[in-house]
Amino acid sequence: MNLCRKPNLAHFAITIIGKDRTGIVADTSEVLYKLGCNVEDSSCTMLGGEFAMILIVAHEKPFSKKKLEEEFALKTAGTGLSAFVRALKDDEVCYQGPEGELCLISVYGSDKTGIVYRVTRELADRGVSITDLNTKLIGKPTDPVYVLVLEAALPQGLTVEDASALLEKLKKELSVEISVRLITPVSL
Amino acid sequence: MAVKEIVTYPDPILKQVCAPVQAIDDEVKKLIEDLVDTMHAGPGSVGVAAPQIGVSMRVCVIDVSKNRHGKENNHGLLLMINPEIVAKSGAAVMREGCMSVPDYTGDVERATELTLRFTEPDGNVREFDASGFEAVAIQHEMDHLDGFLFLDRIASLKTGLFRRKNYK
Repeated sequence: MNLCRKPNLAHFAITIIGKDRTGIVADTSEVLYKLGCNVEDSSCTMLGGEFAMILIVAHEKPFSKKKLEEEFALKTAGTGLSAFVRALKDDEVCYQGPEGELCLISVYGSDKTGIVYRVTRELADRGVSITDLNTKLIGKPTDPVYVLVLEAALPQGLTVEDASALLEKLKKELSVEISVRLITPVSL
Repeated sequence: MAVKEIVTYPDPILKQVCAPVQAIDDEVKKLIEDLVDTMHAGPGSVGVAAPQIGVSMRVCVIDVSKNRHGKENNHGLLLMINPEIVAKSGAAVMREGCMSVPDYTGDVERATELTLRFTEPDGNVREFDASGFEAVAIQHEMDHLDGFLFLDRIASLKTGLFRRKNYK
């Protein structure tokens, strides 16, 4: 993140998850707005029927994690929504992500246990840092197909071709298709 | 000739429709030189439009020949006054960043082939077909002339941070 902690600000990571319904984002942002929190970074997604949110929020000190937890407890009571709050340390607020070339890796094939583990272990062992990942089960119930798409930063000295070669043996072993392509943003 | 400071959003000039150039005078020629110098000073930069250096005129410069995406397919340094896209076709998504929107990137869908017409600094009207990365760069820079940023064109929620070197 291009964000550095100001000494007068307390930062928190909040995760919200619950059965999808209209108004989850509004309810969450209402709690934060009324408390005077600033949403610095956030991401929301649907997984199955669950709506999940991750937010990084800031508030001028003094401000306690307990206050956030209490307000969310009041707001989510009886809604089936879960909220979890974590206070962030300096190095989490001023996080510097991986520096290498970004690539997108697609893996897909007949569903079987272990696809995510085998692919991500292979990458981790070579110092490849995953920055985003999602998976989906598609196809017919009788013939399910597993799709894994991940974005990763390659370490210094590892090319897209190297990453492709690295995963080549997994293609045969897991009977899946794997493709790797460069997606480093273009500066215009 | 000078390397100019890049204007960043929310400077309102970036959201204005730029005025067409009426006459290619010394001011316009100096502007083009400044744009080229500024582009060359930005590591990895392949184009700069006049509003990005604070001038609301329909002028931009592009050169993708040194970029890995464009080195095989380009028309070299393009100095474009009053550029127009005559025709376009195809579509591809590329993750773009912009010097005027630092530290943020987004997936943008652009035409992959276009026919371009513009006036060169010597007054000659030039028309040619561009494709691939050069076509993407042309569309990105021409968007600046109409007050559009890549943020207005994001095609998916997939965005990211893109740490840049100092452009100055």
